[in-house]
Amino acid sequence: MKSILRNLLAVLLFSVSLSAFAAPDAQSLLQHADRARGGGLPGIVWEIRLVSRDGAKVSDEQRLEVRAVDDASVAETLEPVRFKGSKLLQVGRNMWLTRPGLSKPIPISPRKRMSGQASNGDIAATNYAGDYEAQLAGEETVDGEACHVLELTAKHKRATYDRVRYWVSARREVGVKAEFYSLSGKLLKTARFDYGNTIEYEGKRIPFVSRMTIRDALIDAETTMDFGTVKVRKIPAAEFDLGQMQ
Amino acid sequence: MLLLLLVPAASAEEPEWRTTWDGTLYGYANSTSLRGDSVLNPGNRIARLPQNSATAEGRFNLKAGNDTLRVTLRPVLLAQDNRNAFGSQRQNEAYLSQWQVRLRASEAWSVAAGREVLNWGPAQFRSPSSPFYFDNGRSNPMRELSGVDALKLSWTPDMERTLALVRITGSGHVAQDIRRNSWLLKADRRGGDWVGGLALAHTPGQGAFLGAHGQFTASDALLLYAEASSSSRAAALQSPADVALPFSIAARSPRRTDVLAGAAWTFDNGQSLNTEYLHTGHGYRAAEEGAYFARAAASPLWAGQALAYSPPLLGRDYLHLVWQSNLMETGGYWRAMATHSFTDNGNELSGYGEIALTGHVTAFALAILPMDGARQEFSSLLRRSVTAGLKIALP
Repeated sequence: MKSILRNLLAVLLFSVSLSAFAAPDAQSLLQHADRARGGGLPGIVWEIRLVSRDGAKVSDEQRLEVRAVDDASVAETLEPVRFKGSKLLQVGRNMWLTRPGLSKPIPISPRKRMSGQASNGDIAATNYAGDYEAQLAGEETVDGEACHVLELTAKHKRATYDRVRYWVSARREVGVKAEFYSLSGKLLKTARFDYGNTIEYEGKRIPFVSRMTIRDALIDAETTMDFGTVKVRKIPAAEFDLGQMQ
Repeated sequence: MLLLLLVPAASAEEPEWRTTWDGTLYGYANSTSLRGDSVLNPGNRIARLPQNSATAEGRFNLKAGNDTLRVTLRPVLLAQDNRNAFGSQRQNEAYLSQWQVRLRASEAWSVAAGREVLNWGPAQFRSPSSPFYFDNGRSNPMRELSGVDALKLSWTPDMERTLALVRITGSGHVAQDIRRNSWLLKADRRGGDWVGGLALAHTPGQGAFLGAHGQFTASDALLLYAEASSSSRAAALQSPADVALPFSIAARSPRRTDVLAGAAWTFDNGQSLNTEYLHTGHGYRAAEEGAYFARAAASPLWAGQALAYSPPLLGRDYLHLVWQSNLMETGGYWRAMATHSFTDNGNELSGYGEIALTGHVTAFALAILPMDGARQEFSSLLRRSVTAGLKIALP
């Protein structure tokens, strides 16, 4: 009887140790990392300060209020004041720009991007888990922090990038670095993420992105987005209806 | 009663109330070179169009609201000094271009009352799918569109669907109140990369208006779109191809179809090129348009009729090209437009540009250059028009 118990215990310990060293599930990691950038939440409202530099030329600072849920977002310009009230609406791949006094909203193509290196997808809630197939590609350290390296491949053409290499902190489970590639495998830009914000969701306090720094891989240009006043709240679908944006 | 039924129960936690305002002051001057040999407006004696004008205008946005209730006002103050060979005229206006009180009764339902620009669809040249704004503001690009007075009930159960029922109580700020007592039913669907909408409108004394619009994001760079409508026009000027016959004004024109198909290509640098083709059944055929000008040339009375009651576009088929800079850029913006009429082979070129001088001040200029002769639509009244000015963002 004792030997049976001993054998059982040994099998149990072996299983536990195996699971402790087993590779983490890439898709779950991605889902967790998304939440710290607005994904998988019932809705999120935040303010973004966006500054772009192209060589020595620094563009005007933009301040945006963004409401986002799933693959829909509305970014309303607060500054510069000459664009106050301009709204960029994105629902799936459909995008429109509207401004006070315009005869009607103008549909725009996804290729029209925000000022600088930020894509329209970068200002919205991140839903990499929905948009990309993730595979674990190894372990590396970023600024001394152990990270899982994920290879993300776009599941559909709605994804902002064709391929992303994404470093997710093993301890905090947040994305700390990303490289964005074209379909041909050309590196387009890199991004670093800071998590100085905290949100409360389902009774838990979770770290939330506070800064995204995007560098162009081909030219000397950089865009910094600072995220502030982050609120988690359900946003009615009507907020993303073009006919109710007056 | 409906409002009462839809008012949500007061919650223990009142949503945050926010108020904001902003505005833009405009100062601009216009110089227009009129055709001396115009058959529609000989010697400018019929239309008495301004040849020079100076305008000061303030457009303001006032907003107050929370997650449930929102009030928006867009007052416009305008002072314009118009001059022509007959003298000068001062025009002062103060009006609400748009306003709205909107109550979000539940997550899906909202009711709104106010003055709203009921314009939609992806086309830039004209808006065939809108019963109220076919012209899309093109006839006077410096003047913003003003809304129609309306009560609106909207149902948006999810991201994919919206249904709106609208009672139009008046034409808003404009003098002709031809929209009073209209009904509008508007349905919209949104997919992952496409959008479609249907509009059904009825105005007493006019036939039903049926409009549709759709767009498809074919790739990151390519956007395809279309708008169409079937409608009849009130007080439509009939121009028989036989010049010996007079003009006649039909209380209600035969039902006609307008169709616009367009494509927009966005280049790597963010600039885009839109190509739009419009067929408007309400316009004249080439022989009818020729007779229209011939009759106008024969009598000042007929020239006046021709000016006052002509269809929104004289011809039937148009090609419109727009090449524009990236709309998302904050430093400046420009657009160049070219329009060709297949009916009379007339052309018009126009361009708009603006550049930020400071964080608040922007300089802008608009130039319109109709080409060809006095008996072609675009060049029938003027030879060129140039507007330049400054706008100052407040606060």
